[in-house]
Amino acid sequence: MTDAIATDPKRAELELLLPFYANGRISAADKARIEAALATDPELAQRLDIIRDDMAETTLFNESLGAPSPRALDRLMAGMEAEPRKVGLLAAAKGGFMSRLGNLLASQPPRRLAWAGAAACALIAIQGAALTSIALRDRTGFETASAPSQSSERYVLLSFATDARAGDIASFFKRFDASVVDGPRANGYFKVRVGDASLTQAQLDAIAARMKAEAAIVRFVAPAP
Amino acid sequence: MHTESDEELVKRIAGGERLAMKVLFSRHQTRVYRFSLRLLRDETMAEDVTGDVFMDLWRQADRFEGRSSVTTWLLTIARNKSYSALRKRRDAGLDDEFAESIEDEADDPEVVMQKQDKGLAIRACLGQLSREHAEVIDLVYYHESSVEEVAKIVGIPENTVKTRLFHARKKLGELLKTAGIDRGWP
Repeated sequence: MTDAIATDPKRAELELLLPFYANGRISAADKARIEAALATDPELAQRLDIIRDDMAETTLFNESLGAPSPRALDRLMAGMEAEPRKVGLLAAAKGGFMSRLGNLLASQPPRRLAWAGAAACALIAIQGAALTSIALRDRTGFETASAPSQSSERYVLLSFATDARAGDIASFFKRFDASVVDGPRANGYFKVRVGDASLTQAQLDAIAARMKAEAAIVRFVAPAP
Repeated sequence: MHTESDEELVKRIAGGERLAMKVLFSRHQTRVYRFSLRLLRDETMAEDVTGDVFMDLWRQADRFEGRSSVTTWLLTIARNKSYSALRKRRDAGLDDEFAESIEDEADDPEVVMQKQDKGLAIRACLGQLSREHAEVIDLVYYHESSVEEVAKIVGIPENTVKTRLFHARKKLGELLKTAGIDRGWP
């Protein structure tokens, strides 16, 4: 079958940009051009639907790959231990507040510097606690490309129909006792909690199927790892 | 509470702060691991590459100039290290095709189609794409990279990114068609 889009240079150029329109990483000018074309070109719109399906499945596929074991961090820490960075106080305090602190400390006489050093140690300890809390929060959060999750809950990945109304979406969540834990991502997908680990895979599949049946609200839904 | 940006963390890492390194690792390890695993198809190797990527960051943090995002920087290093590891595996005489055949057998899209699940079939076909096609699909669909970022990570011109992605999408459609799913294109 002849690809009518491929044989029309203008449509072909827009078609090449569709994946970037779908992932939200496109200039405002190109976005406007694509939206104008989509309004009058059902074939192009169908191509976009295929891309969105593939995008959702690619996300599910990647999330099923799991996360590295603690061995990766252990290995890294051992490597860092073996190769400590040799940096001075100023270099260590490069940029932002730390830069200003570094400059201030460097300009002080030795006696005052000793006290400033103690203060800097206290500050680092406080920042350390703050950073640790960020790390812990990341670990307990939802699973994204950049943060592993605990598998104590059950999720689906879904996107809403473009003409779904806010009120309908709200009652949809209420009906399924569901809540959004991530999203919308740039491509419009949400990760939604639908229950805890006591749900079996069959039950999770059944929930996803029931959600899928609500086509006026949901465009895509699938169980997520 | 203020969440430090990746760029701020890299500056702190350049100053030798290990805690900042742990935070950045926690934020990006899964992304780097999955990207590497898709190229290497070997979990142990992907974990090793992930550790090596962050070790490089530890060594070179002071050279980060912020011309691209930290994510792009990490994925670029991950890709280079993954292909280097693949070359070493080939040189060592390990059969790459064998590793690929294991995955293909486990995820046969036609078998999946017998279960009537289109989503599973698409995922099975994603697992059958060549590395060249899989990496652009993953970068755009999963890692949400822009044309410019993919060009930088893969090391190809921006126009090539668009056409390579087009061919990857087309290949995916052809694999699905072979598995019995015709979506009207290609």
